[in-house]
Amino acid sequence: MNTPRHFPFAPTRRSFVGLSAAAFATVALAACGSDSGEEVDVESQNVGAMDDYTADTQFKATEPIQVSMLWTDWPEVPVEDTWRLFDHIKELTNVEITLTHIPFSDATEKRSLLISAGDAPTLIPLVYTGEDAPFVSSGAVVPMSDYVDKMPNFQKYVEEWDLADMIGNLKQEDGKYYMVPGLQEVSVPVFSLVIRKDVFEEVTGAVPNTWDELHEGLKLIKEKYPDSTPLADGFEGGALFNFASHAWLTKGGWGFGDGSIEGPDGKLTYVAITDEYKTMIELFRTLVEEGLLDRESLTASNDGSGAASVAEKFAAETCFAASGSSGTAIEFSQALNETVGEGNHSVALIPPPAGPAGEHVEPRNFWHGFMLNSQITKSENFLATLQFLDWLYYNPDAREMLRWGEKDVNYTKAEDGTIELMDGFSLDDYAINAGAGTDIKTDLGFSTFPAESTESRALKESYSTPEFVEYIDNVLSTRTPRDPYPPKPMDETELEQASLLATPIKDSVDTATLQFIMGERDMSEWDAFKSELEAAGLPRYLELLNTARDRFVEANG
Amino acid sequence: MAPDAPRKNPKNAVAPRTSRIKDSTSYKVFTVVNMTVLVLMCAVMLYPFIMLLAQSFSSAGAINAGKVNLFPVGFNLDTYKVVANNDNFWRAYGNTVIYTVIGTTIAMVLTTTYAYVLSKKHLKGRGLLIGIAVFTMFFNGGIVPNYVLISSLGMKNTMWAVILPPALSVFNLLVMKAFFENLPTELEEAAHIDGLSWFGIFFRIVLPLSKAVIATMVLFYSVQYWNDWFAAFLYLDKTDLFPVTLFLRNLIAGASTAASEGAAASGGNVDAINANIQSVTMILILIPILCVYPFVQRYFVSGIMLGSVKG
Repeated sequence: MNTPRHFPFAPTRRSFVGLSAAAFATVALAACGSDSGEEVDVESQNVGAMDDYTADTQFKATEPIQVSMLWTDWPEVPVEDTWRLFDHIKELTNVEITLTHIPFSDATEKRSLLISAGDAPTLIPLVYTGEDAPFVSSGAVVPMSDYVDKMPNFQKYVEEWDLADMIGNLKQEDGKYYMVPGLQEVSVPVFSLVIRKDVFEEVTGAVPNTWDELHEGLKLIKEKYPDSTPLADGFEGGALFNFASHAWLTKGGWGFGDGSIEGPDGKLTYVAITDEYKTMIELFRTLVEEGLLDRESLTASNDGSGAASVAEKFAAETCFAASGSSGTAIEFSQALNETVGEGNHSVALIPPPAGPAGEHVEPRNFWHGFMLNSQITKSENFLATLQFLDWLYYNPDAREMLRWGEKDVNYTKAEDGTIELMDGFSLDDYAINAGAGTDIKTDLGFSTFPAESTESRALKESYSTPEFVEYIDNVLSTRTPRDPYPPKPMDETELEQASLLATPIKDSVDTATLQFIMGERDMSEWDAFKSELEAAGLPRYLELLNTARDRFVEANG
Repeated sequence: MAPDAPRKNPKNAVAPRTSRIKDSTSYKVFTVVNMTVLVLMCAVMLYPFIMLLAQSFSSAGAINAGKVNLFPVGFNLDTYKVVANNDNFWRAYGNTVIYTVIGTTIAMVLTTTYAYVLSKKHLKGRGLLIGIAVFTMFFNGGIVPNYVLISSLGMKNTMWAVILPPALSVFNLLVMKAFFENLPTELEEAAHIDGLSWFGIFFRIVLPLSKAVIATMVLFYSVQYWNDWFAAFLYLDKTDLFPVTLFLRNLIAGASTAASEGAAASGGNVDAINANIQSVTMILILIPILCVYPFVQRYFVSGIMLGSVKG
């Protein structure tokens, strides 16, 4: 037979190596395309910037500029490039916003990818405090603290709302901060306790104000509804331990963070080995022992919205108090409508119960703000971009516009500041003029995530339900926010070491906390638990935290 | 049979023997246990799907109250209407269909041709070609370098970013290579003697004999493209280009976090609506695969088995 012919292209080993090297070089060059080290003179990079830009004035670029922006695409509010929001901003400011869409489901990962690859848009919004830390060493984002003097609105409201100390705490290891946050005139815990108010009032005569009152109330409810386990969490303990911990001036659940807290000697110590943490755990242990706290709700995994079974238990009247937000309260209320019937129940979000340390709630906090891609520092529009973002994020008129739309087109504002949507416009998310025709959020783009950032109290209350306004009032009038936690920014090596140590320590804490609460471990083993943490490297971890803390104090006072 | 041969009259055909070898007791027990286990497994597999189907026809309130199990509660078609009128959903659906059809076509061309080349043992550099392919099973550049590569090649925000990177699955390639190696070489030699070129042999002899493995690979690739969301997530920045899986992923993530965001949830019933919409969207996304699978399934087992055993 004939020998089959060879294929015309049979690459040799050498040609393949060459091809691979060429491909690698292309990638490497593409990845290292940006240069650094150029001096930034923001005053001279002023194309489009206003000369007389001050706080509370309308920003309008002196010539058209473009600002690219990362836009997180919320599934229930799919972004439209044709939204009136963008056109209106352009009319007001001469700035055209161009969007890079990222899906909400994996927004953080995509954002990191874009920043790491040097491909992020100029404006990187939806950044919460501390989220700038991973990008500091790479120089991929702008050190905003160097440029806030060009942001008069930001400075004004930091001062007016007494936030200067908190801003100082944003500093990273190099003494600069790389994100500017959304400022809140007032802040209240989003998650607290949602209760069946009618049942509590009927059985105990009042809404519980302290953990002791709640404990007594739960006992009485248990007597009346013997099949019930009246208290639940639904967030694997995360929400409950978080809002409860402040009543003991400790930390827990979602708020555990790095686990550090200032000890009596002024040095940082670890919350899980403090007596306050132990006392808090003992209360929950008692609640579980007495059948008042739902064990399942502390362990059942949830998809982020709280284990659905808690809503079912509320509906079935086997649970009467649970962790949640005002949204959870509405969810429980809807579930009860199906079983108990509308009008036959009352569900309310109440301030976190007070405890031995007093009527404390979490420290005041910021809402999400933004970072800037460091490429902007090379742009001739740098100053104009800073002015535009200062206006967009911190100017009261801009905040009102982002929330409500165009004044006298979409909404009216009375003399007393009351805001009402005009006929034909609705904000269905907040059940305002629901179903009126044009939803200012989904149809026009207002009230989307940029509107959530900086808020005065009046603006926050303008769209909140009366129940939530009452909750804000209650919290502000009866509770005191804790002092901010001391900052302790670390350098890259310290961060790596700390995270290596923190993970096993935190795992031990989580496991032991649940074991103690569930009664699977005797409280007499508390000292053994502390020894376990020491064996897991707690002293070294605390040393790292204290070193970083001391350095920060030395540098910043 | 010759054309003029008398046909057998079915009526006169010898009746099959009715007597059978009697099954042993242990065999009967085995069969019963086997059937029971299989039925149970089938039920376990089907239950979530039936529940999903029931949820898709149920009211949001009933879903939230945990009342929906195997049958719809508060039967309604409203959610189907809502989803059917959602332009974004159909745009994403259309994108997925395009990515799947074009992607599967390109993947099949690449895989069959590459596998056929690799099946020729006399090919110089065959080891290197196999090595290059297999190398990628164990090592890759990582997400950021891949992102930079796709971006530098100008494929970002085009459908090629979704279609080309996964267009050659090494696992599929090796299965197909093994299949081609099992084809009788005599057939190709005979075709060669009759004057067919390599391409002629490939298209007129090899491919027609490989329907089973091709059907299997088409199924593998089309399911892969249909389900893929990660490439789109990495390389696409415009919602207009998102496939329906990314749309669904976003929807589920949105529903599960909506209630945990105080601001988002201090009014309205966003998450309640989503509980319904999720189910309907999932059902609509599943339908094409459910429709296609039974037709390809008969090739599936034989195709994968043919490739797995080397003679």
